[in-house]
Amino acid sequence: MRTQKNADCGLRIADLKSEIANPKSEIKTITVAVAGNPNSGKSTLINAIAGTRLYVGNWPGVTVEKKSALFEYEGTNIKLVDLPGTYSLSPYTQEEIIARDYLVHEKPDVIVNVVDATNLERNLYLTVQLLELGIPVVIALNIYDEAEKKGYKIDTKAMEKILGVEVIPTVATKKMGLDNLLKAITNITNSVSMHRPKKLNYGSDIESSVSIVEKQIQNSYSQLSEKYPLRWLAFKLMERDSHVMEEINIENQSFIEEATRHLKKAHGEDMESIMADARYAVAAGLTREVLKKPEFKKMELTEKIDKIVLNRFLGIPIFLAAMWLVFKLTFDVSAPFGDWIDAMTAGPFRRWAEVILGFAHAPAWTASLATDGIIAGVGFVLVFVPVIFAMMFFITFLEGSGYMARAAFVMDRAMHSMGLHGKSFIPMLLGFGCNVPAVYATRVLENPRDKALTSLLIPLMSCGARLPVYVVFIGAFFTAYVGTVLWSLYVMGIALAVLMGIIFKRTLFKGESPMFIMELPPYRMPSFRSLMIHTWEKGKHFLIKAGTYILAVSILVWFLLNLPWGVEHKKDSYLGKMGQVIAPVLAPLGFGNWEAASSLVSGLIAKEIVVGTMGEIYVQKAADENKETPTLTEDLKEMGTSFAGAVKDSAANLISTFGMASLSSKESTEETKERTPLRDVIKGQFTPLTAYAFITFVLLYMPCIVVAIAMRQEFGTWKWFGIAFAYQMVLAWVVAFVIYQGGRLLGLG
Amino acid sequence: MNLANLKPGEHGKITKMGAMGPLKRRLMDMGVLVGEKVKVEKIAPLGDPIEVTIKNYNLSLRKKEAEGIEVEVVK
Repeated sequence: MRTQKNADCGLRIADLKSEIANPKSEIKTITVAVAGNPNSGKSTLINAIAGTRLYVGNWPGVTVEKKSALFEYEGTNIKLVDLPGTYSLSPYTQEEIIARDYLVHEKPDVIVNVVDATNLERNLYLTVQLLELGIPVVIALNIYDEAEKKGYKIDTKAMEKILGVEVIPTVATKKMGLDNLLKAITNITNSVSMHRPKKLNYGSDIESSVSIVEKQIQNSYSQLSEKYPLRWLAFKLMERDSHVMEEINIENQSFIEEATRHLKKAHGEDMESIMADARYAVAAGLTREVLKKPEFKKMELTEKIDKIVLNRFLGIPIFLAAMWLVFKLTFDVSAPFGDWIDAMTAGPFRRWAEVILGFAHAPAWTASLATDGIIAGVGFVLVFVPVIFAMMFFITFLEGSGYMARAAFVMDRAMHSMGLHGKSFIPMLLGFGCNVPAVYATRVLENPRDKALTSLLIPLMSCGARLPVYVVFIGAFFTAYVGTVLWSLYVMGIALAVLMGIIFKRTLFKGESPMFIMELPPYRMPSFRSLMIHTWEKGKHFLIKAGTYILAVSILVWFLLNLPWGVEHKKDSYLGKMGQVIAPVLAPLGFGNWEAASSLVSGLIAKEIVVGTMGEIYVQKAADENKETPTLTEDLKEMGTSFAGAVKDSAANLISTFGMASLSSKESTEETKERTPLRDVIKGQFTPLTAYAFITFVLLYMPCIVVAIAMRQEFGTWKWFGIAFAYQMVLAWVVAFVIYQGGRLLGLG
Repeated sequence: MNLANLKPGEHGKITKMGAMGPLKRRLMDMGVLVGEKVKVEKIAPLGDPIEVTIKNYNLSLRKKEAEGIEVEVVK
């Protein structure tokens, strides 16, 4: 760009002229990185400042979320970049490496350090490390209202003097102090040299060592001192920071050893520990100087709640009740809207498309592609939106309120035995409703290993889409044991998840399981605005990113089902042909016919489709429905009234959840007693034994395509879906084999 | 005596950090340092992990991680 501009002098002069005429055009753009501890209210602060201008993406190469925003404030363009919440800048966690790499290599103009005023010392430990970088810092002393309520007196003026940075009290949840914060940011960039943070003194022995190392770097590796902040680099070399050592790769390291030998000897520790101690000593000293606490501590609300919530006897029942509530709310509140979208795309939208294509005299196959392929596909994507919104809302609430950490604390022992983290319980539980939001919910897990293992086990949780398959077969064969058979499937899924968890822990994820060093933050009411922004971001992300994939796949499946165009019998379609190829593999399981095999293949889209395909294959289509086609106005009216109905149902579900009334189990038993033509045909095609083997296979075999796409999105690679697909196929085959052949040996077949 | 041996309500003072590598660094980053006072608040309903107060905030860690932290009981 620059060379082009230089070449074209005329353009430059024109630019200059317009600048003189209009001084506003020299708007400066500054980059502001926001750093802070988890639970410091950092994301609430970002949401409060940037709101809907936030852009959510990923940090390159990893699946950690990156939020940024670009906006103008009083004549300055501010580019805000949210760094992952960290307690430190060590080289061990993904989040910390991302944060430090950004600060060191991208060199933002200003760092906004969000500090929790109620937890000064531990938060200042990060501040101390940020100051080592020599980048101007503004401290947002957040949650200031709570600190005041506790009777804390913080001398911000003294803090500013000691640290050499501006300290702005803020209350992000109430949008207080944000204007002052933005002013402080823009002030800094007008006179950077005056705002260099002070060099904090880590004690004479450390300081003399660091100055030796600094000199050595300047003398022997001057190119490094241009690339890195000198003092920071010297500390990293002294600490033998693995990440930095690898990056700079210097040969002669003996000068580091020389400079630090006496320190290690005097402290009897490694340098990393000596430095952590020194930084905390500075943070503690600073805290002593600026913070005055009341002498008597009141019993705080968090303590009172935890006394009950984490009680030895009440802890687990309360946890289970809370989980039940989250599950019910997520699925019950969203279901009526999902049903409404489903009905709309299957009804009016489909009819309108048919009418339009009819007018255009489009050939029959385009009409089929448009309705069965595209419109059905779009509907299929949209149906997931309400449940993903609902899930994100409640998960964000659990995290923001502080209960998520408690849930992990209560459940960790049980989950740890399968190699998982206490927080894994929530995604696994959501899996019983739908595996898709469950996979997205794994984002509550920070460690990539925990995330991957949890995602691999989620598909074994029997989701709602598998129920229609069970219902058909149970209705045909096991009407006397509806409850027992259903229960056996759910329990089998859980038992196999435990088993597979233990196997994966010892094979795929061999080695130390990640640590469980977790803060239990004070309970806080998350701001509604922040909740809504998070929920909206996630829903939007799903619609755009996952939606495109799902749509593409559903069109592909339409081709599979319908090509070659004009086939009279499903057996001759590609799907039928695939079924014929696969059938022999399924023969040892007791259902080796092309009809069953084709139905199973179609279940890749969603497991309930197995029933639909079976219906199409086994049951001759009923004569064309003689229903009258509604007019456009009737359709529109219907859309409105049924949406109102959905809102009403959702509200009713919300109320009934709290009223502890559940109708769903009653409905499904009623359904199983109904007689349908499909059920009669199945009775002739299966035996009770093969039927049970078949529904077990449906429970266990491959995750559906939407889960695959969710996994791809969460991990940025198809790898984990590939592993899930492979192990589930084998598992389903083996278990169905054992059931069928075992049953035959026992004389049940 | 290590941190996992303390009973709920008991106070201790950290005398030695036995952990190594990333675990040690993580603990130190969270303020678990030699000389620091620590109080065991609770044990989880299933017996593990434990909750402690350190540097004026609440931290939970597994017993196995607490075993590497030597303490002396403080009355």
